[in-house]
Amino acid sequence: MGSLRGQLLPPVLAIAFAALLCTITLLISGANPGSALAAMVGQVGEGTTAVDIVNSASVYYLAALAVAIGFQMNLFNIGVEGQYRLAAVVAAVVGGAVALPTGVHAAFIIVVAALVGAAYAAIPAILKVTRNVHEVISTIMLNAIAAGIIAFMIRDDMFGVLRGNNISTAEIASSGWVPGVPLGGYGTLFGLAFLAVAVGIGYWVLMNRTRFGFELRAAGESPTAATAGGVNAKRMILVSMLLSGGVAGLVAMPELLGRDHTYLMTSPAGYGFTGIAIALLGRNHPAGIAFGALLWAFLDKSAVALDNVGVPKEIVTIMQGSIVLSVVVAYAVVRRFELRAEQRRVGQKLGGAEPAAATAGGAS
Amino acid sequence: MRRMRGVVLAVIALTGAMSLVACAKDAGRRGSVGGQAAACKLADKPELIPGLIATTTATGERIDGSHLRVGLAFDVGGRGDESFNDAAAAGIDRAKEELGITDVREVTASHQESEDVKQSRLRQLAQDGFNPIIAVGFSYADSLEAVAPEFPNVRFALVDATVEGAPNVTPLLFSEEQGSFLVGVAAAYKSRNCHVGFVGGVETPLIQKFEAGFLQGAKAAAPDIRVDVKYLTSAGDFSGFNDPEKATHSTRGLLDRGADVIYQAAGGSGKGVFAAVDDADGAMAIGVDSDQYKQKNLAAYRDVIITSMLKRVDVGVVDFLRAVAKNDLSAMPDVLNLKENGVDYATSGGKLDDIEDVLEAYKSQIIAGNIEVRDRPGA
Amino acid sequence: MTTPTPTGTDAGADPGGGATAVVLSGITKRFPGVVANDNVCLTVRRGEVHALCGENGAGKSTLMKTLYGMQQPDEGTIEINGEQVHFRSPADAIAAGIGMVHQHFMLADNLTVLENVVLGAESAHGIGGRARRRVAELARQTGFDLAPDLLVERLGVADRQRVEILKVLYRGARIVILDEPTAVLVPQEVEDLFASVRAMREQGYTFLFISHKLDEVRAIADSITVIRRGTTVGTADPATVTNRQLAEMMVGTELPSPQTRESVVTDRAVLELRGLTLRAEGDGRELLHDLDLTVRAGEILGIAGVEGNGQTELVETIMGIRRASAGRILLSGKDITRVGTLARREAGIGYVPEDRHRYGLLLTQPLWWNRILGYQTRRPTARRGWLDRAGARQDTERIVRDFDVRTPGIEVAAAALSGGNQQKLIVGRELSGDPVLLIASHPTRGVDVGAQALIWEQIKDARAAGLAVLLISADLDELLGLSDTIKVMLRGRLVAEADPKTVTPEELGAAMTGAAGDRDAKKDGAADHQEPGEGGDR
Repeated sequence: MGSLRGQLLPPVLAIAFAALLCTITLLISGANPGSALAAMVGQVGEGTTAVDIVNSASVYYLAALAVAIGFQMNLFNIGVEGQYRLAAVVAAVVGGAVALPTGVHAAFIIVVAALVGAAYAAIPAILKVTRNVHEVISTIMLNAIAAGIIAFMIRDDMFGVLRGNNISTAEIASSGWVPGVPLGGYGTLFGLAFLAVAVGIGYWVLMNRTRFGFELRAAGESPTAATAGGVNAKRMILVSMLLSGGVAGLVAMPELLGRDHTYLMTSPAGYGFTGIAIALLGRNHPAGIAFGALLWAFLDKSAVALDNVGVPKEIVTIMQGSIVLSVVVAYAVVRRFELRAEQRRVGQKLGGAEPAAATAGGAS
Repeated sequence: MRRMRGVVLAVIALTGAMSLVACAKDAGRRGSVGGQAAACKLADKPELIPGLIATTTATGERIDGSHLRVGLAFDVGGRGDESFNDAAAAGIDRAKEELGITDVREVTASHQESEDVKQSRLRQLAQDGFNPIIAVGFSYADSLEAVAPEFPNVRFALVDATVEGAPNVTPLLFSEEQGSFLVGVAAAYKSRNCHVGFVGGVETPLIQKFEAGFLQGAKAAAPDIRVDVKYLTSAGDFSGFNDPEKATHSTRGLLDRGADVIYQAAGGSGKGVFAAVDDADGAMAIGVDSDQYKQKNLAAYRDVIITSMLKRVDVGVVDFLRAVAKNDLSAMPDVLNLKENGVDYATSGGKLDDIEDVLEAYKSQIIAGNIEVRDRPGA
Repeated sequence: MTTPTPTGTDAGADPGGGATAVVLSGITKRFPGVVANDNVCLTVRRGEVHALCGENGAGKSTLMKTLYGMQQPDEGTIEINGEQVHFRSPADAIAAGIGMVHQHFMLADNLTVLENVVLGAESAHGIGGRARRRVAELARQTGFDLAPDLLVERLGVADRQRVEILKVLYRGARIVILDEPTAVLVPQEVEDLFASVRAMREQGYTFLFISHKLDEVRAIADSITVIRRGTTVGTADPATVTNRQLAEMMVGTELPSPQTRESVVTDRAVLELRGLTLRAEGDGRELLHDLDLTVRAGEILGIAGVEGNGQTELVETIMGIRRASAGRILLSGKDITRVGTLARREAGIGYVPEDRHRYGLLLTQPLWWNRILGYQTRRPTARRGWLDRAGARQDTERIVRDFDVRTPGIEVAAAALSGGNQQKLIVGRELSGDPVLLIASHPTRGVDVGAQALIWEQIKDARAAGLAVLLISADLDELLGLSDTIKVMLRGRLVAEADPKTVTPEELGAAMTGAAGDRDAKKDGAADHQEPGEGGDR
């Protein structure tokens, strides 16, 4: 797992670098970085922003966990986007069509969403295992197909309902809602934010404490070593992809069951891609991802505050992009540095010249 | 390996030749656009009902709005999108001039932002003391439903949607189908093949209103006319409003099938429609929202733009601000129709001069209620 | 740093022996935390074969990389032909007449011999007739009988090496560094190589010969420099020095021996192969042909063979990584032909893979996490689907202690350990949990002498306790020393059986290349010639 320093240093460096980059950009564009920062920080205390940040972060968190499960197996599940959106629409349609007792109704919708996400992720998984189709290619295609299916499903001659100039699915009865935690003037916390936390804990336990997690991570790091260690790498691809898709299916649930109660034509897309960025930012670690999700949500909300003080809000996009980019670079640099340091420690322990040549040369 | 290369070369050469042939064929067909089919057999022109058409909205009455602090929340694209955000911006600019408004804050939505961001945007404007606040675009409907009750003393206006149960939200709705009806008539009169086309950006109910009106108008003027319809993307995928490339390809498809007047309601993709029309001999295009003949970045295509369907968001905005300044919203119409100059057709370029009497006649019939324009295609 | 050894006893001396080709004085190269070369002195006379000896990790490669311009020394000077030089890159070294033949060949399979030689040095003699004439001339000089238009992919290992040597000569090298050139060759091929080297020495070429195989060094070298722990510990005259003396200079202690003690072979069969056949996916080529083999408890069965003759496939089929096409695999009488790798491991097979980085370790993970690999279902590392982290840590501590894994702790990443310590960890792991069978593929490849001795010791101990061992190795000393029985593998078949007590390396080599011509290697050991390209189908 590396040292704590090795875990924390890269994101801190990356954020500092991104902030510097944005400061320069702001100065060039003639805006005042100080007032921009003040607006960004100040917004957190205003109105419902703090709660909004946590709400959005819970959604991002689920998306990033879905991506991270794939990453652990060295799978690049770009398809989280299509999986969560398809799951959201199907869950909204099914949830709006059935009548069940309070609680059961919501649980039913959540299960449907997870199953739809997993089923949709099964397609690239099976293609990969049987035909060796690269998951990046297949999931990109499946994202496009999902967009088509969604457009078809919400047509008003299918499951859609016209709402003025908008289209939505039928509204889910209140028995299927998941009530939030009202915090007065600060807004309402999504009830399913706790689901996100639970999934995060479950993810950590699975990856670090169970045989399954061990096999998954082993197969992700070195399929050859895992195979020699008795891990069925193909099965791991299938299972991790299904799990990833299942979690992806939950992504839209906090908003669907906690606020919208219907899937709108204008419901936001793109959480899957945000999830990729946050999973990279958080290095697949549940706590890191949580931090990344909160940071991302904070930056997202900053757009409004910056717009209000006349600072170009595109600066937020620049910041998000440069953070991800520099995190990736910083991790590579720090990892190399850490390995060097560790080899040095081993070398000191041995008190001789022996390891440098051997490790620098690799296998012989 | 060498033989492989030879095969590749041959293939390239062949496809090259084929595309040359294809080009030649295309050119031939496009060249004969006028001669291939006959122009439409036109229906009888309706009678002009006089006195219904207001020539100007200016009331002359001087109203002072300098005390107003106006918040304007744009949809994605914001000021400068050359579509309906710009129309709203034009309204604000005119309001500044006519009503003396000075304090305006403009904020803009981001691509694919979530609901709470929209709410925060509106809430922040209200908290910072802006009143009235104008939200541009129906995607603000749910946000206003949540935010407006929190600020009962703030007057909101919402372009393109209504909010149930919020008395302080004034909807600014436009009968796009009525304006589209008129350009449909114009298309039918101008088509030499009796075949016209419609390119929509995204297949949403809003854009379908444009389609429906155009269809009905064209059929009213020429019952035998063929109208081809193409949408760039389906509902939920909003990239169709910003994909000129795709628009060009789709438009070419319509042109190749013989359509020679193309009406576009495709937002930022519209430029691609004009480009394709400009390429084809003898084809014409109809713009949307603003008077696109006059737009600078479309100047290259000016020759093919025969008219535009005007959706006067600016009129709506100015009317709303005027009403707020007078503190009397009762005069605001439910929907801005042809009658209120909420929609119209553009005459810049003079390409419709020969049929203006026809269009005015249809216009008067619609205003009089003799022609009812549908807002759903095929309904 | 504890290296007060006297250095370079005759460095720069001996002017009577002719001009010097290479003089390295006081070369020091530091890497973070370690000194790879410390005040190294080396003098090579023109026209001699100078051997550089030292165990793995002693700093030979670092020194040669310095001489070849791949890295710059922190201290010290390099003189070539009496002139001091500074190499910033291998290009500088090549310009100064130095060439290096790497242990791992760098040839383009789909090009011809001529094209490979000329590739990258087109400016020397063009690519046309002049280049062809030059290559032919060099081939004549060196006695390399290579068809210039043959595709390299059709060449055997020994011929590939010749192409590599031609490459450096073509670039004008007069001083040739040969980095472990015999590691990939069978004994007869080694003799051929040495003949060529001697012939070229007569024509004035100078050789720097890197090796840790003492017999070879004494056979070919005119003088020997020994390097230990990054510094030169002295020079020796091959005519007078003994293997033992050389080895002790290298190791600084007494030499380990792979010799197995008394036989403890029982009659209880642990691993039985019955007609085991494996066909390649796709073209159906037979990789393993109808193998019958029995390994008994307490027995070490060695498989000899030139690499690429099916040893890897055999191991992977026994481990269940590949599926047998026909035949059966029995473990202690139970048929395991159809069960997966994990079940085989659980049934008591330990596996030391040939490539520890790819098959043995999770390099970025800590040592204790690596302990779990292959044991993720068993105590002490797991309990009913849950990992037992404490148990894994504890047991890793045990391995580190018992197998002398030199590490600051069990939390360091496996990649940070040296090769020998990584291998000790793997052997320690695979001998955990009382296995009945150990598959050891090149168990001491690329590890230092100390680790080698320990690994041999542990394998012997386990054998004495009744473990059956299937040993695959390219190191004939190791095979002969450890094995109770040796089988020779050639093109996917077991072609000969040998008694390690009586067979000589030469006889074994003949059988490995198929030159023996019959199934008994002992009868016809004096094979003198073998076909190029017999190195199996890679």
